[in-house]
Amino acid sequence: MTEIETTVTERGVGVVTPKGRVTMTTAPRLREAVTDLVDAGTIRIVVDLGETTFLDSSGLGSLVAGLKHCRQGGGDLRIARPTAAVSTVLQMTNLDRILTPRDTVEEAY
Amino acid sequence: MPTRSFREDFPAVPESLDALQDRLAAAWTDLGADVTDHDRLRFEMAVVEIVANIIEHAGLTDTRPPVRMITCVVTVDDEEVRAEFADDGRPAAIDLSAVFMPGEDAESGRGLALAVAAVDDLRYEREDGINRWTVVCVRS
Repeated sequence: MTEIETTVTERGVGVVTPKGRVTMTTAPRLREAVTDLVDAGTIRIVVDLGETTFLDSSGLGSLVAGLKHCRQGGGDLRIARPTAAVSTVLQMTNLDRILTPRDTVEEAY
Repeated sequence: MPTRSFREDFPAVPESLDALQDRLAAAWTDLGADVTDHDRLRFEMAVVEIVANIIEHAGLTDTRPPVRMITCVVTVDDEEVRAEFADDGRPAAIDLSAVFMPGEDAESGRGLALAVAAVDDLRYEREDGINRWTVVCVRS
């Protein structure tokens, strides 16, 4: 079962870490995790994909939805540490243009 | 290398997707330890999108148990990795030649486009009331 961990750093950046696969069974929880943070006032978010072993189109949809939600709230959503599997799917869908991967979570903001 | 395969029948529910991915991950050693990581990944990407599509659409008209079943056969030989899916759900109104990758801000609609882009051949046929999907990844 994929876990989605959420923390907020001392600098007020929300870090969402999906651990395992993000597919149709888990993508709604990823979207919800981002929405909850934004709605609670944390509008700068990093999705740490360093432990995401697989991401499908529904996971991509959640990232895009999260990005839009953050920007509507005046913030941003960035991604960090994508695994090879995640990088491949981002490139194939051209989403690496709007979700530019950062090497570390700290570097995102 | 001789042809190797496995067959798995699973219910058309979201939880089956994880189980199938587990099965696939465990099967590579027996099926073809020499299949490259990149080929495994693009094959798995297409398989996940097709199975998700079947689960989302084929069973939509089901209003009561038993849950519809999906049959999956995965075959590996020297040339290719192939998956064949069959289900007796409602027909898929899909023209794979007309599938396109949606724009960057789309929150859905990438599944089939991703499957088409990931593998070398993707086919859908409706035959005698059965939906048949074929995913072929030519080995690199």
